[in-house]
Amino acid sequence: MLKIKDNQDAWQSGMAKNITFIVTKDCQLACKYCYLVGKNVKERMSFDVAKTFIDYVLDHETDPDFAYESVVWDFIGGEPFLEIGLIDKICDYIKTELFRRNHHWFNSYRFSFSTNGINYHEKAVQDFIKKNRNHISIGITIDGTEKKHDLNRVYKITEKGSYKDVVKNIPLWLEQFPGGGTKVTISSADIPYIKESVLHLYSLGIHEVNINVVFEDVWQEGDDLRFEEQLMQLADSIIDGGFYQDYACSFFSEHIGKPMDPKHDNQNWCGAGKMLSVDAAGNLYPCTRFAQYSLRDKEAWIIGNIKDGIDKNRLRPFLTLDRTTQSPQKCIECEVASGCAWCQGENFDAAQTHTVFERATAICKMHKARVRANNYYWNKLYRKLELEDLREQYEANKREVKPEIC
Amino acid sequence: MKKLVGQVTPEEKNEIQALFERRNGLNELAKILSADNTELYEKLVKDMGETGTKFQGWWDRMSAKYQWESAENGNWEINFETNEIYLVV
Amino acid sequence: MLQYLVILLDDTSVAYCHADNPLKKRNLIPVETLKKGIIFGMKQNLMIQYVFPDYELPKEYVDVLESIDNIKIYPINHKSHVLIEEDNVSDVEVADFIPEKVESKNLVLRLKFSEILAKKDEISKLFGNDFRLNICITDVEKFTDKDIIKYQELLKYWNAILLNLYKESKTPQINILTDRMLLDKMHNCDAGVNNITLAPNGKFYLCPAFYYDEKTTVFNQLNHHKPSSDNSVGDLENGLNIPNPELLKLDHAPLCRNCDAYQCRRCIWLNRKLTWDNNTPSHQQCIMSHIERNASRDLLNKIREIGEFMPEIDIKEISYLDPFDVRKEF
Repeated sequence: MLKIKDNQDAWQSGMAKNITFIVTKDCQLACKYCYLVGKNVKERMSFDVAKTFIDYVLDHETDPDFAYESVVWDFIGGEPFLEIGLIDKICDYIKTELFRRNHHWFNSYRFSFSTNGINYHEKAVQDFIKKNRNHISIGITIDGTEKKHDLNRVYKITEKGSYKDVVKNIPLWLEQFPGGGTKVTISSADIPYIKESVLHLYSLGIHEVNINVVFEDVWQEGDDLRFEEQLMQLADSIIDGGFYQDYACSFFSEHIGKPMDPKHDNQNWCGAGKMLSVDAAGNLYPCTRFAQYSLRDKEAWIIGNIKDGIDKNRLRPFLTLDRTTQSPQKCIECEVASGCAWCQGENFDAAQTHTVFERATAICKMHKARVRANNYYWNKLYRKLELEDLREQYEANKREVKPEIC
Repeated sequence: MKKLVGQVTPEEKNEIQALFERRNGLNELAKILSADNTELYEKLVKDMGETGTKFQGWWDRMSAKYQWESAENGNWEINFETNEIYLVV
Repeated sequence: MLQYLVILLDDTSVAYCHADNPLKKRNLIPVETLKKGIIFGMKQNLMIQYVFPDYELPKEYVDVLESIDNIKIYPINHKSHVLIEEDNVSDVEVADFIPEKVESKNLVLRLKFSEILAKKDEISKLFGNDFRLNICITDVEKFTDKDIIKYQELLKYWNAILLNLYKESKTPQINILTDRMLLDKMHNCDAGVNNITLAPNGKFYLCPAFYYDEKTTVFNQLNHHKPSSDNSVGDLENGLNIPNPELLKLDHAPLCRNCDAYQCRRCIWLNRKLTWDNNTPSHQQCIMSHIERNASRDLLNKIREIGEFMPEIDIKEISYLDPFDVRKEF
């Protein structure tokens, strides 16, 4: 049977509350595209802060803000595994409290991590994984070839590339998480390396490569055409090499590049406001991107703290956001609007005023380039399948891909 | 060898998925709870027993309802995405 | 479209809306700035609204002030300082206590919610007079869900008094109770849309409250491309420059554009203060406006038992007080 690999939906997508601990603002790396402008070694979460926060969340089981079937407890940094001892203690407390309180999330929770993978092999991390094996998802970020990876993902101070220290842990990670996907971020300087990087990640055994271009206004004249050319080359390689059967690359999706109905397709892209983040000081945010260390030009959008709880007025803008209200007319009328993403935090940071209702459109040309290459990909793939008399089989077995939201 | 032998309803899937999740949660909780914490430990032991019983009860009920094909030394498996039941020999 | 230019004649000009004026030090607008402001208003075809302080302005200002048709907003009991030669029916007196005598056709009564509850009978004595009464609650942010019943009961109590006045063929005008009966679309403050404020420093602000905040730097970042304490949206030299002007309009306010509490002030200063976004109202503002809306509906129905009244107005029965709670149905 022809098997087509496609992106998988996130666990309990749409039904899970995402709760994020910013356990540290420290990281071994100083990636050149990192949006975390305020990383530092000082702001490490204490267990007391984490415990007070967990108690607050679990005390509000019936509150509409927490009335989700499932929960994903996210741990981010900086690099979260720098604080594996704390994380272990937090997870033990969560499990025990969910059980003690007969909380409905005991039947449906996950611990989720985005890591640079550098200390993945260390005993403390491995012990933690074994202990919580059935409830963990881990994504390791590796950007592609050594050259591409080391272009951006360098150690702080020495500026030495981190590729070798990450790639050595990939086999162990894939053994433990066979469906593990990686996240690749593309900035202007990375464009020439897209094709070789995706193929390299496939060769490492990573079957799911989620890529996005950075939302910040970093794009140069001509980047869109160079991007389109790279994606077309990648499309050729994936189709000619037969990778489409077992591998996925999020750049190519049948659902992007269509006009969107202003009434029926009016939902917000981003999950900010439905998520909840806490930092070392015990401040609460609608998403980590609204914490001060993520913002260039604006002050943090703090929605409360672990002692006083959430100020619901400050969540109202996020929960009333829709696509058209925040979009300029050119986006509303855009013929290829679907799949064009935004980050609410970047929108806020780049906005002229203190608002989450002003959509940043720095990726406009890049999205259009992606759509052109994407159209090429599907036309080419379907023609090939038709010629091989496999199209029907493909249509019958293909899995629907929902756009990924953060 | 894996053979498709049937399918359950989404509601039936949800029931076994919740029990499956609970069983995993209890097993992982058992690794960190010591007998010193008498109250919680006893609650855990009791819950593990009850969940195990419900878990087996679901398979008994469903196999009786749907009359799935079986085999000696074989197991049934459920795919939570498709609600399909497989016989694994 | 802009229709009004509010000119604050002094830093201590009277506060006439939700925001208190915390500025205590006199800072009179330079006469040249005043002249330029008036010319700006003339060129933009704007009706000028002067906001007076509680002291008499120097004589040289009088001719300048009266060089254009205007509306005066002034502290009650200070009419003599305003040098009004002829009464204008649009002039507004402002009081933060219950006055014994009102000389203009419009009174803004600014009180805290607890004061309003405590003085409901004294306030109701103002109802039967021949001026319009605008009740302005100055501590909206402190209103809690525990106050809902108190507010509902207060308005019910006042409705009974108003009904008797209608029976006597009087037509009292109390903003929070009678405005909604006459409206078939939103009639809000519309700061930055139909009115703009000129401060003594020669800069424009969405409303006086944004100027007060800039001077006291309570919050900032209206426009982060400027120094962080700058809330201004242009100046007399360079004209108006309102960033994100569409976000001040009704069609860019997801909750308000679906709402029918048409009498709501939809105060963007309160929005900014409480929800941190200009186009999103707070829970407090929404529930207070809906309590008023529902009380207006009750009053309208009672008046209609006496005789025909505003037959084209239909205020539907609704099950919510905060449209945020039913936003998914919009």
